[in-house]
Amino acid sequence: MEILVNLDVMMAKRKISSGELAERIGITPANLSILKTGKAKAIRFSTLMALCSALDCQPGDILEYKP
Amino acid sequence: MNWDKDQSILLTQICTAVFAALLLALDIGCYWAASWFVLLRGLDRGSVWYFTATVYACSVFAWLLLWKLWGLLGSIKRGEIFTAENVRRLRIVSWCCVGAALLCLVSALYYPSFLLITAAAGFMCLIVRVVKNVFQQAIAMKSELDLTI
Repeated sequence: MEILVNLDVMMAKRKISSGELAERIGITPANLSILKTGKAKAIRFSTLMALCSALDCQPGDILEYKP
Repeated sequence: MNWDKDQSILLTQICTAVFAALLLALDIGCYWAASWFVLLRGLDRGSVWYFTATVYACSVFAWLLLWKLWGLLGSIKRGEIFTAENVRRLRIVSWCCVGAALLCLVSALYYPSFLLITAAAGFMCLIVRVVKNVFQQAIAMKSELDLTI
C-alpha cells in the first residue's frame, strides 16, 4: 500500500527535463529528485499546483494510490 | 545591551570554562578543602578521606558533563542544533547527573546533607532528560520537514 509518484512519466510525455521543470516550479533539482524517486514524505499543495500548472495535468496524473 | 545569539553562546561558553576552572581548583585542592570543611563542621577527622573520595568520584562525572556541554555549545554555534549527536550528548549529561546523584546518596551514609545534592542532581537529570526528549522529537519533525517538497 503506497502512493506512487509518476512524475517521470508525465515529464517524458511533456518532454521536459528535470532542470527545466525545477526552474519553472521554483524548487531545487535536488528536491525534485527526492520527489521523483519517491523519497518525499509529503508534498505541499503549492508544489503540486505548480507541477500541475507546469505539466498541464491533474494531481491524479502525478500521484497514484497503489493498494 | 542588545545580545545576539553568538554573544549568548559565548557567555555560556565562558560560564562553562569558569566551572571547569573551579572544578580543576577543587580537584587540586580537594584534600585541603575537605580538611577545612571537616574542621568547620566539627566532624571526625577520619571523614576527610570519605569527602575526598566523594569529590574525586563526582569530579569524573562533572568533567564528562562539562566536556559534553562544551561540545553541545560548539555544535549549536555551528548551527547544528537538532542532531543525533546532540541528543547523545544530552543523554550522557543526564546519566552524569544520575551518577553524581547515586554517589551522593551513598555518601549520605557518612554525611546526611549529601541527600540535598542527591535531590538536586536527580532534579537536574529530570530537566536534562526532558530537553533531550524535546531534541529527539525535533529531529523527527525536522526530518519530516526536510522531506516535504
